[in-house]
Amino acid sequence: MMTDQAAQNTGKAAGFLGRGPMFWIGLTFGTSGAVIGLILSGAIEGKGIAFALMAIPLACMAAAFVSMLNKNKSGTGDCVTKGEAQRRYIKRVAVFTSLYLASFAMLTFIDELGTLPTAIRIGIGVLPGLALVGFFWAIARLIIEETDEFMRMLTVRQTLVASALAMSAASVWGMLESADLVPHVDAYWYAVIWFAGLALGSVVNRITYGTWGHV
Amino acid sequence: MGARVKNRLKVLRAERDWSQQDLADRLGVSRQSVNAIEKGRYDPSLPLAFSISEVFDLAIEEIFSRD
Repeated sequence: MMTDQAAQNTGKAAGFLGRGPMFWIGLTFGTSGAVIGLILSGAIEGKGIAFALMAIPLACMAAAFVSMLNKNKSGTGDCVTKGEAQRRYIKRVAVFTSLYLASFAMLTFIDELGTLPTAIRIGIGVLPGLALVGFFWAIARLIIEETDEFMRMLTVRQTLVASALAMSAASVWGMLESADLVPHVDAYWYAVIWFAGLALGSVVNRITYGTWGHV
Repeated sequence: MGARVKNRLKVLRAERDWSQQDLADRLGVSRQSVNAIEKGRYDPSLPLAFSISEVFDLAIEEIFSRD
């Protein structure tokens, strides 16, 4: 039988190239920021080089997903719990993240987008949004498939915090926008706020239940 | 907040020299779940309480009681 200490040790050993998911996620954000900084400062010119450099954060993100799956398989780690439901969730999120990034890049980098027929523009324009819908579906499936009732409750609490935050932001900003007091914000930002709400919900779980949950 | 439930999980686990992970594996739940129940942060559902009683081979009321 595995002791608490042994489990923790195994958790430290699992991951990808000896590093856990948080390391790779941090590296993803760090390298993304560096590449975006280079683009915005004008140090990089041309979409080809920008595309090539964006492969670095994408590789880090792929490493983060592999690290999560390895942690899940070893059954240890506080932020990545074991279980088939969680494993399926990580895979689904990896797929929808890839779809989102690919479709968003297509939307950003196709110069001739404005000249294409409306039907094709709608088709390309709707893809990143559908990928985000995929994230919501993945979380719903996790709640349905999770057999550990405590972890399921933590996920439900996270989604409640996220929904409260996003809906509150939409309500307040929308009213201020109607009164011409604040600039317009595209509606997809409320999905971004919702995902930030998941992180906030995780912190709330840590404070009230002593564990982060697993979304 | 409603009435909380006390439990003897930690004592029963110690008597058997089981870690939280050992008990979690027997119950088919996460170590975090066992930790939360043991510390009184989370009250298990009736099906999980029955599983706990089966694992320890004790009646539910020998493990759980009203606070």
